[in-house]
Amino acid sequence: MTPSPDLIQELRASRPAAPADLRARVRELAASEATPTAAPWSKLHLHLPARRSLLVALPAAAALALTTAGVLGLARSDAPSAEVLRGELAQTDKDSLESAVPETAPVQTETFGAGATPGAADAIAPDANRAQQISATLTVEVSDSDGVSDAAQKALDLTERLGGHVVSASVVTGEGANAAITLRVPVAKVQEAIVGLSALGSIVSQQVSVQDLQATLDQLERRERSVRAQIAVLVARLESEPLDAETRARLQARLQNLRAELRVLRRGLAGTRAEARMATIQLTVVTPESTGAVAPQSRLDRTLDEAVNVLVWEAVIALAILIIAAPFALVLLATWLGRRFYRRREEERLLATS
Amino acid sequence: MSLDAPRSADLDARSFATVAEELLDDVYGYLLYMTKNWALAEDLTSETFETALRRWKRFDPRRGTHRAWLLAIARSTALDWFRADSRRRKREERADAEDPRHDREPAFGEGFSAELEEALRALTAGEREVVALRVVLELDGDETAALLGISPTAVSTRLHRALAKLEERMRHHDAVA
Repeated sequence: MTPSPDLIQELRASRPAAPADLRARVRELAASEATPTAAPWSKLHLHLPARRSLLVALPAAAALALTTAGVLGLARSDAPSAEVLRGELAQTDKDSLESAVPETAPVQTETFGAGATPGAADAIAPDANRAQQISATLTVEVSDSDGVSDAAQKALDLTERLGGHVVSASVVTGEGANAAITLRVPVAKVQEAIVGLSALGSIVSQQVSVQDLQATLDQLERRERSVRAQIAVLVARLESEPLDAETRARLQARLQNLRAELRVLRRGLAGTRAEARMATIQLTVVTPESTGAVAPQSRLDRTLDEAVNVLVWEAVIALAILIIAAPFALVLLATWLGRRFYRRREEERLLATS
Repeated sequence: MSLDAPRSADLDARSFATVAEELLDDVYGYLLYMTKNWALAEDLTSETFETALRRWKRFDPRRGTHRAWLLAIARSTALDWFRADSRRRKREERADAEDPRHDREPAFGEGFSAELEEALRALTAGEREVVALRVVLELDGDETAALLGISPTAVSTRLHRALAKLEERMRHHDAVA
């Protein structure tokens, strides 16, 4: 049913007008409207409705989180990373252990860390005029498993070319590839060997130690000469002097002991001379995966890493707050919705009955 | 974001006095239809403008017109009064009794024919409200819907029902006369 135009017209024609006294009251009220004197900061006062505040607050919070992460990341990138600290601690432990081992003879040791040049081995040069025991420990890093195999093969070839030999070799390929090779090379060629082996990869660590054997050798030689002289005297007495049976037996027993000692001394001399002739090199070839080593990062990388760490922590904290606050927020939301629904129903009821 | 003062020139920056002068009749008419009591409508109109003056700085012209804003305050004021009145009547156990003012005094004041006034009295406040907004104050459907918190379709339905009821009451009055 369409409402009659007359009704609409009548309703509009009888549009209520405010009585004069009400108009006067409202005018009086409007006249009391304070004209605010503009405070210097009043123009800066922002009035933001809740929804708009949220629209501003969320990006602001995100920007703050990013800025904090950036600043903290930049600040913390100056500090050594955990990996570097672990490496330094491991090296300290190793040094402590080495210093705790009692030395039987004066040992001259030079240790070089990562980045050492092959020429660093020159710091200890063999003395051609003295018998010396030279040993070197060398760790080089190659990129992958194939690099380990190649390096091991080149080490064996180098050893052979220098007139040395392999004492032991262990090569592991695939995941966690590494090689451990013990070589002996002529002392005269040890520097050449170290230079060649160092070139197989990037040097992780290098240690060369020299122990003087000349004193031991001299002592052995003196003792050998003495024993030989005593043997000669005893042989002469046994051959030239008339001796009773008991004396002859005692001298012969002593002669046997001296000859046994001479054999031991000769073996010792031979061993010491051999030790002085050949240097021992322990070569270890590793890959970054097998050592778990982390390549040194640039400052930008460290900054980004630290910033990401801070962001992760911020996210964790935000998530924790969200998890804790969510039930309360849900209760508040449910309360608000319930109250709104109740008020709507109440309004409808009031408007229907009034 | 809105700056409290000063507002940009393209926004409505009229003074409270100007707006009050211009919209006083609208607010009063709306409240008169709502309450069907001129005295009460006057009181509530005053209260509406007092509230509006207190909140004047918070008015954002980008969110609506002054008229819609003032009518929303007027509606809220009227509903508050209805609530208070309902509680009072319940408390006094006179829920069935009419407010003395409703009976003794002319409801809509001058300008209304006796049959129109009687027909309007028969409507509920909700029905009178939609008639006031859509017919008398000539708000459009969307503006009315936003003010009442219902859909434009619901506004249209409610208006149609109210006018039909009004017309029927007036025909009935004519028939009796």
